[in-house]
Amino acid sequence: MGLIEIKNLTKKYDKKVALNNVNLNIPRGKIVGLLGKNGAGKTTLIKLINDLLTPTSGEILINGNKVGVETKKIISYLPEKTYLNTQMKVSEVITYFEDFYEDFDAQKAKKLLKDLDLDVNEHLSKMSKGMQEKVQLVLVMSRNADLYILDEPLGGVDPATRDYILDTILSNFKENASVIISTHLISDIERILDEVVFIDKGKIVLQSDADKLRKTENASIDEVFRRSFKC
Amino acid sequence: MLTKLLKYDLKYMLKNMSVFYILAIFFAITTRILFALNQTVIVKIISQISVGCLFAMLANILINTMMRSWVRFRGSIYKDEAYLTHTLPVTKNEIYDSKLIQTLIFFFVGFAIIILGLLIAYYTEERWLWLKSLIDSITTGLSIKTGTFIACTIGIIFLEVFNAIQCGFLGIIWGHQQYNNRIAFSVLYGFVAYLLSQSLVLFLTYVVGLFNPTIMDLFKNNIMLDTTAFKTLTILAIILYVIIIFIMRFICKHEFNKGVNIE
Repeated sequence: MGLIEIKNLTKKYDKKVALNNVNLNIPRGKIVGLLGKNGAGKTTLIKLINDLLTPTSGEILINGNKVGVETKKIISYLPEKTYLNTQMKVSEVITYFEDFYEDFDAQKAKKLLKDLDLDVNEHLSKMSKGMQEKVQLVLVMSRNADLYILDEPLGGVDPATRDYILDTILSNFKENASVIISTHLISDIERILDEVVFIDKGKIVLQSDADKLRKTENASIDEVFRRSFKC
Repeated sequence: MLTKLLKYDLKYMLKNMSVFYILAIFFAITTRILFALNQTVIVKIISQISVGCLFAMLANILINTMMRSWVRFRGSIYKDEAYLTHTLPVTKNEIYDSKLIQTLIFFFVGFAIIILGLLIAYYTEERWLWLKSLIDSITTGLSIKTGTFIACTIGIIFLEVFNAIQCGFLGIIWGHQQYNNRIAFSVLYGFVAYLLSQSLVLFLTYVVGLFNPTIMDLFKNNIMLDTTAFKTLTILAIILYVIIIFIMRFICKHEFNKGVNIE
């Protein structure tokens, strides 16, 4: 049984079809790149897995459970948006996560924040958007979750910090956990991917082992992506 | 988990409302001090300004509690903060209950601050006795105990507020089931939910009136209620509001549990 099993999933916004009869299986212990152009349906799929959208039809099973309290206990999700209450201090947010997530490691969070030169006593409202995004990433990666879902984790980050973030991701998830990374910056994350999923116009067009794909296409994943989705 | 959610919701409201509580008490104290001074023209002018500020703050406490509760409900359930709210390992029922309980608690706190503010600004033994005699004259006329009268009055106000809050929540839930103009639909549906709940109270009162001639007189004649009818109506209002609140709570949770669509 895969960690995520998606069967015949469809999501419509009013009349627009964002996901069309998607079937997908995400195995355990893999770093999976969810890759697609803008508006391809990546974020919609991620939001559905996280109960932020309601499917029009179909089923999502995570660790054998339907999306709900049990699945939220094992998913650590980093959205594109900054979502923390900016009235709070970083230290208060850490307490908040400690209160709600049994698998949250506050010591790890404080260490990672220190590495990134972020002050735990600072108010989020006084931080730049980029700094808030780093705080969010630290919070997400400080959980010992079974599944990490990172939606554009490198989006608003400078190139120097990107490497640190990728290293943080690589060195902070537990054995047998899976990571789904959705991004446009394929060349930046290519080196860490075990598996890739290409999504286009609401459909899964390719799911493959990363090394196998490179070998068969004799090109990097970035090049394969560019070829596949050339305008 | 409900207590944890409630803890953070209460903290949020306290952070936002405490400034109004402090200002209300501040203006209550200044009003009292200014009235105690020699009433020169300048003191009179400043006193009136202070009284104006006091009543503005007291009204603000009630209005702001309700508005902020709705804004908080929408913000943490349908706006950016929803990305955190809906990924916490809590049920949708717990999220809903936390918001509702938080609002009710702050209404009680608000009422307490209003009473405290008025007492600070205006309490004298003379005024207290006047108020007491006023309530006594009402309760004697209605031949009910003072305690019962106060409890019923507070109870009906509380139930009315409870109903209005839930109508607002239902409006927001229904409004956000749309894909466009969500705020406009939220206001519209909230208003419709409130009108429906009030119409239902009226309808059920009429149904009871079919079996109780004194209640039916309310619909047929333009007369003052007699004591018995007033008591019956008060009890009926409390029962009907409780029923409506339970129906509304069921609808809200049912609709909320259908799921959300966060932008």
